[in-house]
Amino acid sequence: MDSLQLGSYSFTSRLILGTGKFSNARVMLDAVRASGTQLVTVALRRFNREQLEDDLFGPLSQLPGITLMPNTSGASTAAEAVRAAHIARELSGSPFIKVEIHPNPQHLMPDPIETYEAARILAKEGFLVMPYISADPVLAKRLEDAGCASVMPLGSAIGSGQGLSTSEMLGIIIRESGIPVIVDAGLRSPSEAAAAMEMGCGAVLVNSAVAVASDPPKMAEAFAGAVVAGRKGFNAGLMQKSGSAVATSPLTSFLGAKA
Amino acid sequence: MSTVPEWLTDERESAALASMLSPSSSASLEALAAESKAITLRRFGRTISLYAPLYLSNHCSSGCIYCGFASDRTTLRRRLEPDEIERELIAMKKLGISDILLLTGERTKAADFDYLRKAVEIAAKRTQKVSVEAFPMSVAEYRTLAECGCTGITIYQETYNRERYEALHRWGPKKDFLDRLETPARALEGGIKTVGLGALLGLSEPVEDALMLYRHARHLSRTYWRAGISVSFPRMRPQTGGYEPPFPVDDHLLARIIFAFRIALPDIELVLSTRESAAYRDGMAGLGITRMSIASRTTVGGYDDNNTDKGQFDVSDDRSAEEFCAALRAREIEPVFKNWEPVFNGPSGTQSRTVIQEEMHSCH
Ligand code: SF4
Repeated sequence: MDSLQLGSYSFTSRLILGTGKFSNARVMLDAVRASGTQLVTVALRRFNREQLEDDLFGPLSQLPGITLMPNTSGASTAAEAVRAAHIARELSGSPFIKVEIHPNPQHLMPDPIETYEAARILAKEGFLVMPYISADPVLAKRLEDAGCASVMPLGSAIGSGQGLSTSEMLGIIIRESGIPVIVDAGLRSPSEAAAAMEMGCGAVLVNSAVAVASDPPKMAEAFAGAVVAGRKGFNAGLMQKSGSAVATSPLTSFLGAKA
Repeated sequence: MSTVPEWLTDERESAALASMLSPSSSASLEALAAESKAITLRRFGRTISLYAPLYLSNHCSSGCIYCGFASDRTTLRRRLEPDEIERELIAMKKLGISDILLLTGERTKAADFDYLRKAVEIAAKRTQKVSVEAFPMSVAEYRTLAECGCTGITIYQETYNRERYEALHRWGPKKDFLDRLETPARALEGGIKTVGLGALLGLSEPVEDALMLYRHARHLSRTYWRAGISVSFPRMRPQTGGYEPPFPVDDHLLARIIFAFRIALPDIELVLSTRESAAYRDGMAGLGITRMSIASRTTVGGYDDNNTDKGQFDVSDDRSAEEFCAALRAREIEPVFKNWEPVFNGPSGTQSRTVIQEEMHSCH
């Protein structure tokens, strides 16, 4: 069985869905169902225990077959992310934590130094740590050494819809990584998700591209199909790309037959 | 500093915005709206985060010509005492509000720094997110507020035109243009996480103000890379003082300014208050604006006693929280009440290193 292994958890779906940008909870739940995802991320800052119609966690936690991955979005330092992770685990019971540390609440580029600190602390404490990072191959290895369950490099700036603009660095991260590489942020279309999977990503995380589509559940389904196709392509072994045409009369024919 | 800083007047910085705001701009309003909407959707999704103002006090020592709280107005002066603040917060919580902006006028004996600090402490215990719109403070005072749980401050320059500023601010501490201009930077130095900027559109030539507001935002984001910046676009509303705006800004121009800011600054929060009409707010939701106030009372103590006296300015969109949310939902936009965790409260900045080292030792 070709499954996504994160710590001791395995998932047959390689599509992870984000939840913060939908027009309402019903559409979000329909999209989650249509995507066939088994892992969904939700921001601790959108847990609202006091006003249930504003709460994302409650309805998601009721979905059968879904594991929740709370995220620390809103944290600007490692210390804040660690505290958020503790609260998120307490409230959700999930061992997963997506470490998202933005230097400020609006600027959504991840802070590599604070992220590393938080990941190291949380991995030691037994969390399944999924850090959201820039597509930095060295940082990815450092996080793997620190005991993270995966690394989640961005495909391009969050919400930019620029697809896999970091593909060169992603290629290096994937080639060198011993843990699943999950492309997070920037994907706009199902074909880009398929491309990420063909490159050898373990999974992709999508939020805006589904939430903002005219028909989010349909788009979720399209991403699900694309992820499956991309993974199949990767497993089947893509033919090598060639930089130049291979001449019909080989250039090396003068060498004669090999002994 | 006695002269206006160079970053405020450097026209190169705001050239792109200027071309979108120019009367001869080739971009139609419709084209700007489409681009602004697309950026807003990609970056913020189909959501609007909501907050509400809580007027703590209307004591004021300044004489802003356009304000109903100016010290020469006959308005009854009042401040909320701690138990009244608690009651207001409870009433606001019933409306679902968990993101609160505390407001006061310029520094007075009745509402000084200590008073404000206590109010922040009380609010931070009862609600998720507390910001402050009050008088300019020192770096040390901002740090104290941040430590008490204040995450954001709002301070409008009102107008960036220095001559107009002089004329409009007749007396009081607010008369110091440059001190006010430097206030957001002091707040960020003090560990406040976000600053809200704005010009009170109508006081001066609006495009000129918009361009300088933009340069202010860019200067701050470049200097304080951890800073969250939000920009509001308050238009002058009828005031208790009866002041008529000398440069009225019509709906089209305001829309153009909002779209241009969204295109030029794709990541920042753009805010629209209940000064604007219900129809305008509904129309703008999702087109560029990402944060709105709801159910606002602009009187001191308006939530608990349902006091509907005239406040600092007239509220134009006086729909209840439910009505407003229903209108957003009808436009397929999710009203978000809680978009913050108190665990993220506390000053931002460099001191995190030591905190982490201590925490790492404790978990070895
Ligand atoms: S605008 Fe502020 S400082 Fe000026 S008079 Fe009104 S409350 Fe006082």
